[in-house]
Amino acid sequence: MLRYVVRRLLLLIPILLGLSILVFLWIRALPGGPAQALLGERATAQSIKQIEHQYGLDKPIHIQYLRYLQRVSRLDFGDSVTTRRAVSFEIRQRFPATVELGLSAMLFAVLLGIPLGFVAAKRYGGVVDNLSLVTSLLGISIPVFFLGILLKYVFSVKLGLLPTVGRLDPLIEIDHPTKFYVLDSILAGNPTALWDSLKHLVLPAIALGSIPLAIIARITRAAVLDVQNEDYVRTARAKGLAPRVVDIRHVLRNAMLPIVTIIGLLVGFLLAGAVLTETVFAWPGLGTWLVEAIKSRNYPVLQGGILFVALIFVLVNLLVDISYAILNPRIRLS
Amino acid sequence: MSIAETEARQLELEGPSGLWGEAFWRLRHNKAALAGFALVATFVFVALFAPMIAPSDPRAQDLSLIREGCCPGPSASHWFGVDALGRDELSRVLYGARYSLLIGIVSVIVGLSFGIVLGALAGYMGRVVDTVIMRLMDIMLAIPGLLLAIGIVAMLGPGLFQIMIAVGVTNVPIFARLLRGSVLAQRENDFVLAARAVGVPRRRILVSHILPNAMSPVIVQGTLAMATAIIDVAGLGFLGLGPQDPSTPEWGTMLTDTVRFLQTAPHLAIIPGLAIVVSVLGFNLIGDGLREALDPKMRGRA
Repeated sequence: MLRYVVRRLLLLIPILLGLSILVFLWIRALPGGPAQALLGERATAQSIKQIEHQYGLDKPIHIQYLRYLQRVSRLDFGDSVTTRRAVSFEIRQRFPATVELGLSAMLFAVLLGIPLGFVAAKRYGGVVDNLSLVTSLLGISIPVFFLGILLKYVFSVKLGLLPTVGRLDPLIEIDHPTKFYVLDSILAGNPTALWDSLKHLVLPAIALGSIPLAIIARITRAAVLDVQNEDYVRTARAKGLAPRVVDIRHVLRNAMLPIVTIIGLLVGFLLAGAVLTETVFAWPGLGTWLVEAIKSRNYPVLQGGILFVALIFVLVNLLVDISYAILNPRIRLS
Repeated sequence: MSIAETEARQLELEGPSGLWGEAFWRLRHNKAALAGFALVATFVFVALFAPMIAPSDPRAQDLSLIREGCCPGPSASHWFGVDALGRDELSRVLYGARYSLLIGIVSVIVGLSFGIVLGALAGYMGRVVDTVIMRLMDIMLAIPGLLLAIGIVAMLGPGLFQIMIAVGVTNVPIFARLLRGSVLAQRENDFVLAARAVGVPRRRILVSHILPNAMSPVIVQGTLAMATAIIDVAGLGFLGLGPQDPSTPEWGTMLTDTVRFLQTAPHLAIIPGLAIVVSVLGFNLIGDGLREALDPKMRGRA
């Protein structure tokens, strides 16, 4: 077990190094050159020279790379061109919003998707089964941002039930120790704030979670269908175990394995899809931050943002692999 | 008998043989796949013949129609209504199919060609080549798809061609991985060993023997990649990174500004979006049908 973990951690290093090289080269491929990229539009010939000296851009490329690596490992991504604040600071401001949205979307997808897939498999060929197949298909065919727009139209514009943009009604004032608005409302003991932040969270979470929902439902259904026919399930039933016990202890448990494998994939999707969902709902997370950065050619932000997201993604995949090894003894012992 | 078994029995009785024959038979009898095929055929037809079907020029503005603010909905003269600059929405949606088709095809071709070459090389050459190529693919896959595309667009600048390339590049590691797996599986087959024993050069073996057999997952993935390409490019267009000329009738770009008008002119947002959904649904249905049809596990089970 430990050997597996260590092996996976060691594999992580070349990938992270490779990523850093990729981004390093990418900054140098940007129009205008890296000094211009770091300064933005306010670059004058003199300030360019200054930046070049400061960042060692006049030195040979391997020395540049080493210094870049040093800075990045300290999570120093430079300063945002538009706000002049440290990129790492802005990441810390924006990241919780995206995490809150992503977690809610994932929760929605899992809480709805697994039961749906399970019931669909148990009643193969029935109404629920066909419904789940249609839902899955639609789920992956509707672009996330279009679903967001539709939900907004139905629930905010036409029915007026839910708010259209943002995380919280600007008139409600609470402290934000964790920057997770739902958590902060609970900590502040403010039920109005809690209700309001939840209302703001619902539509974006559903829009973002639609595709993971579709995928999870499908995979659960396929996994349960497969597991149902396995010998050990037949044995459990023959033993006389209550159907519900068989379902939960044997069928569901083993069907969960394929789902764990794709969680990594889903997190990657959530990180990418958040960009679109946040734009539709004006959610102040990493997504909107990156989109603004592209439009304003804010390359330090882009560099830091992309590296950070990739890092998170790689770490999540590592955790998923490790937990899969824990859950599946065959991998652990191989 | 299970469904697979009844189908296999039917196949035995009715008779096409071989992977492709059986697959085609299965496909023809799969209602969902047929529906998908109908949708895609409509999409391609509209894309090809848009100039002849569309009632007006998609870029022709008629500002008199929006004198009283935005925007008149569906009417007799404009079946889908009119957009914020007085352009006929129906024509714009029809022409939009051309862009989506073009985008889908180019992106998939870019991803496919590089992906196949890299994957085949990695799978067949093995060892160092394999490790290097796969590490590179892993690094590319470490950045979630849309963000990778955004990074590429940042490097190339915004524009229609650039987003096609960006989405194409994000497809490369997927196809490479797929093909490598396929080639690895084929490599140990008897006919390959036989060819090598006779002295057929490695290159010939790869091209004439291995690749044709490794194609089926690639075809399935190709159709699904077409679906995701259309969605991804629409997404990039929606973010404003696509064609910079706002008069371009690309579906994603058409959706960008419509969020403001949801109250007064919801049709501007809903119709292009539905067009995207319908086309993508078609490709997904076909891709699923193909996957089931080509699944070797279902072949000849009695």
